[in-house]
Amino acid sequence: MRPLLPLAACGLVAAVYAGCSNGDPASPSLPVVTVPSTPVGPSPLRRLSDAEYLNALQDLFPALTATVGPTLPALPPDVAVAGFDNAAEAQIPSDVLVARYESVANLYAAAACVDASSVAALVGCADWSTAALATSCATQFIQQTGARLFRRPVASDEQARFLLHFQAWRATIDFPGAVQLTLSAMLQSPQFIYRAEPLPAKPSGSVVPVDSYAMASRLSFFLWQSVPDDALMQAAALDQLQTDAQIHAQATRMLADPRALRVLWSFPRQWLGLDQILLAEDTARTPQVDPFWTTSTQASAYTETQLFVQNVLGQGGTFRDLLTSPRAWVNGEMARIYQVETPIDPAAWTEVTLSPVERAGLLTRVSFLAGYSHAGATSPPVRGNAIQLRILCSLPISPPPGVDLSQPSIPDGGGPETNRQLFEQRTAPAFCQGCHAGLNGFGFGLENYNAEGHYQTTDDTLPVDASGTITGTDVDGPFVGGLDLSSRLSRSRTVHDCATQELVRFALGRAPTSVEATEVAALATSFMQSEGDLRALLLDVVSSPSFRMQLVEEY
Amino acid sequence: MRLNRRQLLQALGLGAASSLIRGEPIARASSPTYPSRIVFYVQPHGHIPNAFNMPIPGAPTNQFAELSLANLAQSELSPTLQPLYAYRDRLLAIEGLSHTSALADIAAVMAAGSGDLNNHQVGVADVLTGSRALQRPGIYCTGGAMTVDQVLAARLSAPGRFDSRVYGFDYIPNSVVSPFSYLGPGQATPMVSDPAAAFQDLLGYITPASTTPNSRAALLASMRGSVLDSVADEYNLLAPKLDAEGLLKLQQHRDLVRQLELSLGAIGSGSTCSPAYDTTQINVRQFMSLIQLAFTCDLTRVVAFTAPVPLCPVLGYPADATFHMYAHQSVNPPSCGQTFSPYAAQAMTDLDAWHAGHVAYLLQQLDSVPEGSGTILDHTVVVWITELATPTHLHYNAYTLLAGGCNGFFDTGRYVRYPQTMTSPLPNEPPIGPAHNRLLVSLMQAMEQTDTSFGMTSATGVDGSALSMVGPLMELEGT
Repeated sequence: MRPLLPLAACGLVAAVYAGCSNGDPASPSLPVVTVPSTPVGPSPLRRLSDAEYLNALQDLFPALTATVGPTLPALPPDVAVAGFDNAAEAQIPSDVLVARYESVANLYAAAACVDASSVAALVGCADWSTAALATSCATQFIQQTGARLFRRPVASDEQARFLLHFQAWRATIDFPGAVQLTLSAMLQSPQFIYRAEPLPAKPSGSVVPVDSYAMASRLSFFLWQSVPDDALMQAAALDQLQTDAQIHAQATRMLADPRALRVLWSFPRQWLGLDQILLAEDTARTPQVDPFWTTSTQASAYTETQLFVQNVLGQGGTFRDLLTSPRAWVNGEMARIYQVETPIDPAAWTEVTLSPVERAGLLTRVSFLAGYSHAGATSPPVRGNAIQLRILCSLPISPPPGVDLSQPSIPDGGGPETNRQLFEQRTAPAFCQGCHAGLNGFGFGLENYNAEGHYQTTDDTLPVDASGTITGTDVDGPFVGGLDLSSRLSRSRTVHDCATQELVRFALGRAPTSVEATEVAALATSFMQSEGDLRALLLDVVSSPSFRMQLVEEY
Repeated sequence: MRLNRRQLLQALGLGAASSLIRGEPIARASSPTYPSRIVFYVQPHGHIPNAFNMPIPGAPTNQFAELSLANLAQSELSPTLQPLYAYRDRLLAIEGLSHTSALADIAAVMAAGSGDLNNHQVGVADVLTGSRALQRPGIYCTGGAMTVDQVLAARLSAPGRFDSRVYGFDYIPNSVVSPFSYLGPGQATPMVSDPAAAFQDLLGYITPASTTPNSRAALLASMRGSVLDSVADEYNLLAPKLDAEGLLKLQQHRDLVRQLELSLGAIGSGSTCSPAYDTTQINVRQFMSLIQLAFTCDLTRVVAFTAPVPLCPVLGYPADATFHMYAHQSVNPPSCGQTFSPYAAQAMTDLDAWHAGHVAYLLQQLDSVPEGSGTILDHTVVVWITELATPTHLHYNAYTLLAGGCNGFFDTGRYVRYPQTMTSPLPNEPPIGPAHNRLLVSLMQAMEQTDTSFGMTSATGVDGSALSMVGPLMELEGT
């Protein structure tokens, strides 16, 4: 753990980051088993995040989404905690959110009931011409659509309430109108919007497995960022989501489904802050850096990274490959910056292999390098901070008040100097070195990549010095250049600990607690031993006690 | 464990009678005929002092001083205030307040030895709370209390209108990402950045007369409230089946659903309020137009607007520059080891004037709607406020502008200056003026509340002296 620095240094070190281990020696491999009495952390009520909500609507109503999707109002953005948009503690409802839910529900319901044949397809019956037929049709509709939306069978009291409202609406308008209004109501109801898990009648402090329906949702919202499919629901109905083997089988099936690409992108994107390239400050680069950089370049850099992550992981690659592989999917814009051959169709995305002496994985891609640079120059401290914060789960430190945060520049009439030299001078005082030895140690090693991520061997006519130092890990020491850095970090236990901890956070919608530290460490050990096999880690996580259990807390 | 709004207000000691430490409770002859409204125009990054400042000839600096704006020519106003010339009789420019709560926060964090001390972030967390920021491990600090706009929103809550509207744009210079308005510690109020979406929200309250009143479509639309009622029922019934934390979340959601239900069609089709706004202007001005619509149709009485930090080319400055960069160089003495640059000072002066133009446009929008014997502007206070006192990250000797009549509460048409006579909580800093918490108290009272304190109530100067931060700024008030 980083030592508490004296006030005179620039370190105003934040409090200990719960659960962040830092270079503990690897413990012997622990089999991941379910021990019913293993302590787990709390199970806060989770709401569907914006992405999960939209995915759910898309998976439930694919045809409708194609038509109404473009007309939907924007949801207020989720409040991110530690970079993740699905943190339960931050899911407080707001008036804007409730209004948007109503708008979206009404749009879907209206589109689903646009004519009699659509209504018939939705409810599963074509004749509602008598009161008796209407009632039985409505009952069936509520049962079946309700089960899909609520992700479990509709309880008898719920059934009765919805039917009562249905009949009243049918009397006021007509059968299709009642279907439309009922569907809208269901889409706004807590059984759809929230992931309420039945509270077992057990004493406070008990740790019990969640029921199979709740487990189906936990699996699907984690691995598919969406609702369970029919196969999962059937398994839940047969109570076949309880044993290690059952869960493993379902999760394996789910990871082979195209919907798994969602989590394979969503987790790295949020963990590593890969949206950074989309910020307003990255819409432009100075003409000296790149006169052709536009917002289209910015968007391409984002897509290039997404394709890289999804394809590498989707094709069985590991987390280490994400840091080290030179495979890339480029369009014309990205080919230009990476200096590879322009694809035949510059608008399409083509797989290439980037130069194996210039490029490796994410740390040498434009989205990271340009996203953590300024418009006209790189900032080694900013890149270093991104690595420390994201990849090492290390504490970010704000600069102390009053320091010079501007881009250092060569004074008028001064001789040639590299960006590195300017930053060395700026951060030379001992007061600064407390933090900057670490930050610059990473950032200087990436100086071969300019402010847009273009590879350079000279900087202001001088050769680039890309020597750096890794600190705060189990693989500390000197390195040279982005490939060396990427390779070393890819084999670091510290990095695997961080990845595991953040994946557990993402899976649970909350930070792992101290009682779960052993469990998280065991997961990280396996992740390390599998050489960064993310799929294996995902399977381990869904089999772990924290994922399968519920802590009964005092009312 | 999150508290609901009512519990939070009680916990903060608001809503109950605060003890009177100084000053009399505001005695107004009677409740104003027209409701008072408030708009916060929050400009990130601070005013450049030389652009806003107006000298008060002959007035000693160790006392409160004032200058009438009524008989001045436009060129006699400072560059920042010149775009507001037409409304000078309803301006109250205030020089010399201190963001004492931010200074005290910084002093406390430094004494504790750990925490996020970025001046931007502390300032953002402080300006509308007057309270210490919420420190969170591993990430920047954020608002530590309910902001003044949300306190007023809760107090003025009534069926048929929004408690408040929060509009504006994310403020992201360097690493600051926190917004300005908070429902509670760490809980930012959702902000709508798209004028079209904001308009759709307002429309929910205004149901234009249907052209086919008995059509099936109209019938379906008329059932929105019934659907919302059934939805609220589901939240109400599910909530008790969960633990305490889940119960609270679902109850909050249920309350919001009920609020939405009550709001539908609150403005009937016979009303004179016409649901339209000017979509031809830039986003900032579209929001000014929406604020006019919201007030005209009494859809809210409280708005918090965060103005954007434009990219430099918007004001004709180079693409590789940022206003943040210019800010550090724009004031003498500069900050962060920078060199003072007249070019940067000009850039920040232009930025101030850019914002002043938007504020003037807002005043014009509000002034164009007759209300009683005057206009909406006469019953509104626009608060043009910044989270930094200067672009160089100082938190004292700030410039603030109030505009509008607010039902006669403020004595407008003046530029006033508070003396700097108190000791800062931070070492090696010049003397400071009254805490801006007291301006927040004045604003609460202008909105017919009886509070005598807001946020932090006292701080300690670095020499041990007690800094009282309570009571309104009586010098601002009309008779």
